[in-house]
This record gives sequence, C-alpha cells and structure tokens, in this order.
Amino acid sequence: MQIEKYTDMIYACGRCNFCKGQEFNERCPEVFTQFWESSTARGRMAIARGILEGTLKYTDELAERIYGCFLCARCKEECKKAANIDIIAITKAMRQDFVEQGVRIPETSEQMVDSMESSGNIFSDTPAVHNKWSVGLEFKKESGILFYPGCLASHRFKEKTRILVKVLQSAGYDLDFLEEDQVCCGTPLWISGYMNKARNWVERIMQLFEEHRVKEIITPCPSCYRAFIEEYPKILGIEELPIKVRHSSEVLERIVLEKKLNLKHSVDMTMTYHDPCEIGRYRGIYEQPRNVLRGISGLKLVEMERNQENSFCCGGGGGVKLAYPDYSLKVSVERIKEAISTGAKAITTVCPACELNLTHAVYEEDLMVRVLDIAEVLAVAAGIEDEEILEPDYFADD
Amino acid sequence: MIVLSERIEQVLVEIVGADRVTSKDFDLIPYSRDLSPAKQKFPRFVVMPTNKEEIQEILKAANQHEFPVYVRGGGTSHWDAYLCQEPGVLLDLSLMNKIIEINKRDLTATVQPNCTWSKLDRELQKHGLTYLCSEAGGPAMTIGGSVMKAGGGPHSTAKFGLHGNQDIITLEIVLPNGDIVETGSAAWPSAGKFKRQCLGPDLAGLFIGSEGILGVCTELTLRIRPVSSKKIRMVAIVDSLDKVIEFGHFINRHVGDEYLQGSYFWVDPTAPDVFILMMDLFGYEDEILEFRKKRIIEKISELGGKLEDPTPANDYYDRVLTGLTDIFATGVWHFFGSGSLRIDDIPFLYKVWLEEIIEKRGMKTVGLGGQILPRDWLAFMVTNYQEPSEWEQIIEIADEINEIVLNGPVVPYGIGGRDGLRNIVAKHNTGYYCLLKSIKKMLDPKNILQRGIFIPEEDL
Repeated sequence: MQIEKYTDMIYACGRCNFCKGQEFNERCPEVFTQFWESSTARGRMAIARGILEGTLKYTDELAERIYGCFLCARCKEECKKAANIDIIAITKAMRQDFVEQGVRIPETSEQMVDSMESSGNIFSDTPAVHNKWSVGLEFKKESGILFYPGCLASHRFKEKTRILVKVLQSAGYDLDFLEEDQVCCGTPLWISGYMNKARNWVERIMQLFEEHRVKEIITPCPSCYRAFIEEYPKILGIEELPIKVRHSSEVLERIVLEKKLNLKHSVDMTMTYHDPCEIGRYRGIYEQPRNVLRGISGLKLVEMERNQENSFCCGGGGGVKLAYPDYSLKVSVERIKEAISTGAKAITTVCPACELNLTHAVYEEDLMVRVLDIAEVLAVAAGIEDEEILEPDYFADD
Repeated sequence: MIVLSERIEQVLVEIVGADRVTSKDFDLIPYSRDLSPAKQKFPRFVVMPTNKEEIQEILKAANQHEFPVYVRGGGTSHWDAYLCQEPGVLLDLSLMNKIIEINKRDLTATVQPNCTWSKLDRELQKHGLTYLCSEAGGPAMTIGGSVMKAGGGPHSTAKFGLHGNQDIITLEIVLPNGDIVETGSAAWPSAGKFKRQCLGPDLAGLFIGSEGILGVCTELTLRIRPVSSKKIRMVAIVDSLDKVIEFGHFINRHVGDEYLQGSYFWVDPTAPDVFILMMDLFGYEDEILEFRKKRIIEKISELGGKLEDPTPANDYYDRVLTGLTDIFATGVWHFFGSGSLRIDDIPFLYKVWLEEIIEKRGMKTVGLGGQILPRDWLAFMVTNYQEPSEWEQIIEIADEINEIVLNGPVVPYGIGGRDGLRNIVAKHNTGYYCLLKSIKKMLDPKNILQRGIFIPEEDL
C-alpha cells in the first residue's frame, strides 16, 4: 500500500483538531461540505491508521471522503504548528491505493484521465478547438521560452489567455507555443491516483520540450507549474528539471517592477485578490501578484479576511469540481461572498481553475462583478486592452 | 441485536434526519480515540444534533430502548472521558457551536457547548472584552467540553482559578431522562442569566466537572471582563523547589489582587534542578502593571532567582488561543500523575517524578509542569511518545505513577473511563463518590448517559 510510506506521519497525528478550525466554513472545504469528522485531516489520519492496521478497507463509499478532499492544504498549513504531517501526500497516496486496489472511484475522475489520454486534454477538445485562443497571435518557434497554457486556460478562458500572451509579448518576451503538440501536463494522473501512468506521460512531455528546445516555461496554471516543479522531478527521479519554470504572476511582477510596460492608464477600481492554494500555500507566491496590482495607479487593493496562507479554497481543487460539483459550488459561493464583503468591485486571481469556480459562483449568486486574471488588469493599465473588460457586465466571447 | 440496531437507527433518523446519522465504519473510526493513549472505543452510531430538543428526544429514546449515549465536543480529552465505553450512540455536538449572546452591560456571554474558546474570544475582542480562557488547547477546545471537565490551564488560572472559579454563571442541561433544566438565576424564568449562586444550592457546580454523566450541557452563560491591552510577560529561573513554593505563596498573598493571571512552572527532564517560571502579569493600568512587575522582580531577586529573556513566555501565552507550536514534533502526548494539590505539597510530586521517572526509569522525555492557582497547584507530568511502538510502555508507567501520586496529597483531575482514573477513584470509595453514585442513580436509573465514564457500570 502506498500509505505505508507515510506510517510515521500517520501515527504522529496527536488528534489536536487544529486542522478543523472554529467553524465548518472556516478552514477546510471538505468539512464545510461533508461535515463529518472523517472529512477533517484528523479524521483522515484515523482512517489511514485504520487501513494500516487492517481494521478498515478502501471502499466505494469511502471514496467520497478521500476524493472529496480539495487538496487545498489548509489543514497541512495548520498542522505545521502541531505535528507537521503532509496530509496532502497521504491523501494522494490513499487515492493511488484506491486505483491500485481496483476500488471504484468517482466516475468523473476516471473520465478526466481517459479524456486526457485519448485527446491530450481533459476536455476532449480537438487541437483546433483547444488552441483557438492562439488564433491571430504570433509565436516564435524554438525561442526557448515556452508559453504553456494548460487545459483550463486553453479551453475555458480563451480571451484571458490571449490577453496574457499579449501582455508578455508587449513586454518583450519571445514566446514559443506547442500548437498541435500542446497537451495536458498530467496533473489528473496524480490527483486521481493513476501514478502507474505518470512516468510515460511525463516522459512524453519531456520529449516534446526537448524537440522544441525549451529552456524556460511560463504558465498561468498553478497545477502545470507545480507539475513541472514538484511532480516531474519526483517521477523522473531527478532533483529538478533542466528547464526554468515560472508562473505567469512571477513574470508579470518582473514586468511591473522592471517597468517593461508603460502603465499609463489609471484603473480606478477597488479590487481584492484571491490566493490560489496551489501557488499560495504550496509555493509561497503571495506577494508577486499583489505587487502587480500595487503597481497600477488608481487601483485600490483590499484584502479578504482569509488571505495568503489562511486563504479559503475556491472550490476547484483536488478534482472535486468534476467529482462532486455541488460541493465545489458551495465552496466557491462561500469564497465569493467573502470577496464581495470587502467592497471590491472586481475579484482578481492568477489561476484558471479559481477563475472558473469563482465565475460560476458569480453566476450562481447573480452578482455584478467580474473575476479577473491580474494580466487583464495589467493589460488595461498598459493600454493593451480597453477598460471595458473590467466592467461587471462585460461578457467575453469565449 | 441487528434488529435492535436497525430500530435504533430508525429512531435516530426520525429525530435528526438521515443525513445527520452515520454508522459507516470510516465515519466511526475518527471518534474512536481522543488526545489520550486510551484504547480505541467505537460508537455504534454517531449523530449530529443541532438543538436541545433533538438531544431530549434521543435521550428519551435511549431510555425506552436502553441504549447508551455518549457526548463528544472537540474530541480532545486527555483521559478517555468522552469515548464510548460501550458501542452506543455518540452525540457529536459540532453543529451546536453558536455564540447566542454577548451582553456588554451585564458582562456575560451565552454560548452553545461546541463554541470553542478561540471563537468566543475572537468575537469578544471585537467588543473590547474577553473571558481570559485558561485552556492551552484553545483553538480546538470547546467551552462545553472544557467546563464539563472543570478545565484549567496555563492562562488566567493564577488569578481566577479553574474556569474563573465562579465565571460559569448558568448552565442549560438536558438530564438523562430528557428533562431540561437551567441553573443559577436562569432557573427563574422571569429573571435572566446573570448569577451563579442564587435560589438555593449551586446546581451548576453539580454538573461542572461531572464529565457529562449527569446531563448533556446545551448552553452556558459565562462571566466576561474587559480586555486589557497591557501585556507584561516574564521568565524566571530559581534553583530550588522551596523557592518555587515561596513564589507561589507570594503571588497568592494578595487574594483578590493576584499579580499574575498566569504562572506556569516547568522542570525539564534534562535539567531536574532548574525550576522555570513563566509569568503573565495582570493589570488594566500601566501603573498597576509596572508596580506588580517591580514587586515580582524584587521577589525573584530576594529568592536568588534570575530573570531570563521573556520571549518563551510571550510565545507561549500568545498562542494559548491560536495553537501552541511543535506540540507533537517528538511524538504524541500523554499527561499523567496529574491533579490538584496544596502549594506546599509540590515537593511530593517532584519527588515522585525525580525518583520514579528520572532516576529509576531514566526517562528523559517526561517533564514536570503545573500552574499556580489561587492557593493551590494543578500539576502534571507530560511526555511525548511514539505511537504505536512506545504505547504499551507509556501506559504501564503512567498507571504506576498514577497509583503512587493519588495515594499522596493529590486530588485526581480528569477521571474518564476504563483507561482513565475511574478505577482508582472507585477503589477509594469515598463518601463523596458514594453521594455521586446516588445522584447518578437517581438522575439516570438506566445508566444511559456516559455509561462507564467516571463510575464503573458495576458500581451502579
């Protein structure tokens, strides 16, 4: 069993319950949606211990608790105070055990992996549809700097992705793009437990990078970013990739701080910023996107009560969006309400999954507010895009 | 048995709805342990009630169908006090966690039992108020659980005692037969929740510390006080236990005007001759606080002690409500050899610790600690240990030490179930214990509630 690797950590849980928080909606999105103790990190460690000791088994029913985890790492953050247990690694190992033992997992998790394998992306898009966002943009073959949008940025947010590329190019970045070869980074494999398929997939992508002479990757997707920085080296058994990997927010911060764009337009709006779990808690990228917003004149940045390492998940993590859409929506509505309570007229973030979930919450709550990528705000400040894209009633073509 | 089980489930579902009843093995297992090394004990069902009426109905059904009911708050008991001693119905009170009222005029707060200290304090601070919670497990520690075990901790107890002595004003309790009673001034419906001792005997005191065996607490009203933004923390080291005792008496001398709100005493197993005192000074005015600081410095100096960098005390007291750090870095916890004792009797506990733990067993992980309360100590031995490899050894040692300690001048604190101290208490069979058994029999003739907690079933 994969969880055997984490035996010491599982037994280290002192059952202090710091992970749960004061309220069901405070820290853990799973306990907010499923409310039983078995949904908390403490509960999961008890379950893992039961499995290790042979008193519990992986079952179809248990899948809801394990695949209902958003992998947001809020519990892991809290556990740093107590036992420093890597709850996420243990949860992923449990998912791998489900798959390896042939226990039924949510159908949509399987489908996501099937789509990825058969079409190259999680939406089963044809390459033409998937890469439609790039129509009209010019890329520089084998420039060494690869723009890697990831599935969500390609499929769902074509305009946002196009704007990001225009900003990067305006700031002088010569970007390459894989075009027909663009495929998913493989994240569905490790969040669903299909590690048996991971090495082949990773080797295939690395081959592509080699063929395109990639020296650096810029991606707006935190999952892709973490895949290249964390998962690929682990799977390949190397310390780090021989490729520099940057999240778009890090690049945009450099653009602002090094004044690579003339931010001549004032953006007179109050905005808040949502920290995506995968680059916030997982990678410590908190200030970079905020520095972008702070660099724009007229813009007033207001913080949500839960921010940075205490940030609440958008509801899109861990594959829950597909497996349990009601849970996902409940969490995203909770987060959007917090964002609105700041008085912000727009919610900014730097993750396509967060943008998608928070946008769905906006629709659900019928709010007059837009969820923006910081690149869109920067594009307006730099005069690359008209300020109408910031307006709450603006509706992108995609 | 299966038929009965199905009938119980049906009854529970009728009361709270199917979505708040579970019997799935993976849902039950998280409720099978607490913070202590007590053996796993499984409920048969877990139910999440949302109000007293549901609890009332469950208890009535329990009497009718004769199934045991257990109560769980935050699940952080240190002594097997809220684990199902038999596979019964466990009430997980997590959904009953609301702050019902903060009365700024009367300086009272009314809460549901699963409101945590941290949640209450966060809300009180918005109004410039505080309870001054004493529990170090503040972020997870529920008020109901804490009061039902008569809690105490490193913070505020030096001044106010366990739960501020009289700070718990009124309680609302669902008795084992389903009757709902209120204590103190709340017992008089046309009055209000403002006073503990009135009308007659202090019935709140009957329930506080009873570990839930006499009723399920569904609401509490607490005395609160203005918050003080003034903060002085100190750390001192003295070289003998006699000096610790002198210091204990010194800060307790000014009854009603104790200098400290918290005073934590610690002896590390690696340096058994070094006595550390962490202090949290109390005061609303700079002038008063500075005076107290000056007097404490003088006293420490008179005792030949040394003042140290106060950073550890700042860190410790600041984290009482947000979470102490690295608590399980070297293993999970066990507290043992603990209880209440006179200020002058701390050498007894120290001697047991030194001779039995440090010298005889050579254990370098078990520390001795305690809090000075008005006129007494709440002291304990505590260790981190590895589960499961060291579990058996720790249990064995803890049992031996508990026997020795409780045969001395130490009153047991935290009784619990069969893996707690209940057998030691039963063996002593004091008049107090006999009276408690009589009260339990009268209120709960079928021994429905918390069966096996505090009082062994065969004793009833």
